[in-house]
Amino acid sequence: MRVSITINAVQCLLEIEPGDILLDVLRREGYVEVKGDCHTGDCGACTVLLDGKPVASCLMLAAKADGHAVTTVRGIGDQRHPHALQKAFVHNGAIQCGYCIPGAITSAKALLDENPEPTREDIRLAMDGNYCRCTGYEQQIEAVLEAARELREGGFR
Amino acid sequence: MGVITEYYRATSCDDAHAKAKSLGSAAAYVGGGVELVLRRNPEVATLIDLSRCGLGRIVKTAEALSLGAQVTLAAISRNGDVKAYAGGSLAYLAGHIAHNNLRNMITIGGAIGRNQPWNDIVPHLIALGAYVEIQDDQERVMPLSDFIRQREPGTLILGVRLPLVNADLHGFLWRFTRTQQDISLLHCSALIGVQESVVSAATIVYAGRPGGTVLYPKVAAELIGRPVKAETFLHAGDVAAQAVEVGDDLRASGSYRRELVRAAMVRLGEEMAGVAQ
Ligand SMILES: Cc1cc2nc3c(=O)[nH]c(=O)nc-3n(C[C@H](O)[C@H](O)[C@H](O)COP(=O)(O)OP(=O)(O)OC[C@H]3O[C@@H](n4cnc5c(N)ncnc54)[C@H](O)[C@@H]3O)c2cc1C
Repeated sequence: MRVSITINAVQCLLEIEPGDILLDVLRREGYVEVKGDCHTGDCGACTVLLDGKPVASCLMLAAKADGHAVTTVRGIGDQRHPHALQKAFVHNGAIQCGYCIPGAITSAKALLDENPEPTREDIRLAMDGNYCRCTGYEQQIEAVLEAARELREGGFR
Repeated sequence: MGVITEYYRATSCDDAHAKAKSLGSAAAYVGGGVELVLRRNPEVATLIDLSRCGLGRIVKTAEALSLGAQVTLAAISRNGDVKAYAGGSLAYLAGHIAHNNLRNMITIGGAIGRNQPWNDIVPHLIALGAYVEIQDDQERVMPLSDFIRQREPGTLILGVRLPLVNADLHGFLWRFTRTQQDISLLHCSALIGVQESVVSAATIVYAGRPGGTVLYPKVAAELIGRPVKAETFLHAGDVAAQAVEVGDDLRASGSYRRELVRAAMVRLGEEMAGVAQ
């Protein structure tokens, strides 16, 4: 079946199987920044934004994304134009192995779009589906707080 | 899901139901799709998408708060009318199940449609006195507690109705889990009314025993007409520990669950003492 999904602001017409999973379709189309890990919706590595809201792409039918906008971490910012969150994650040492970071930043982006001044508790709840086995989370929370501050003050894009 | 050969976008509830009826067990409705992807049923070859069927709204009428089957847990947790209903217990529950990404996907229709023995949403809705709107050969409304006992395959869930007569009562929820994201070892939900420090109405539900949702009118009867005091709830806890059928599984023993059954009533008492004051 043919679907139309706007991925990182580019409209893509894709040929998929009716039972295909969004994570598999995205990776097949070259969006390898979206990571697969548990495939049971537990770990958050595969998080993407669907119309601005974080979802687990490993449990999402690709056909359900037809007509919707998907944003991956690359659509939030890249090496040449990093987003405030990406800079803050580096600055705060919130990355070690890096595998979970695309999902973590994607969840954090959805939070800051909705709530520019989150508390620590807001951040914990918004990122409660993003496991990180390296950092112990504290630096990630610091990074999101720093990015939120920077965005409010207009320091970063 | 086995090999899916068709993804059918229903244009209305009638269309969705007719398609499901024509295909029988080879078709499944899609809510958030979480459970369909996770636990593939080899019989299912056609998925029926409901997103164009107008089931995605939360509406307050003179009698009820209606939640369409396609409404997600995240939407429920943020809705002002749900937050104001029965002390906001359903909004709290919907905002704490699984995690944020899944709360944006899981729908109320999918939660009822699957209704695992450890499901938290169905027992809480039953405690709140929810009705379910369904479509089989006709549209019908029935108590959710009846629906989960009598459900026919292929029935389309249109949504749930929370009666406004219960809106000012106190919803209580206690999920005993090892971690926040874990499924419940034991779930207790209740709806309690208090007038002049006396329990005026009570509904008690246990689930995850490890069996599914059961209403316990016998335990509720121990509370009604009694003062909101620790002794009342301690006594109800003893009655509950006798009445609630519990079992062993890999996650907890039956005797441990029996203690949790009692502890849930103690917790309820502590919470109601605060409400009565
Ligand atoms: C990591 C994880 C953690 C979880 N934690 C919890 C938890 O703590 N507590 C809890 O209660 N649940 C929990 N869940 C389970 C979740 O609530 C269920 O998976 C739920 O069924 C998913 O809803 P859905 O809308 O995606 O369902 P779907 O997968 O879309 O559908 C589930 C079933 O319902 C049927 N269905 C869907 N919509 C309708 C309809 N309108 N009419 C009739 N039938 C319909 C489908 O055909 C299917 O058989 C968890 C799930 C995961 C993956």
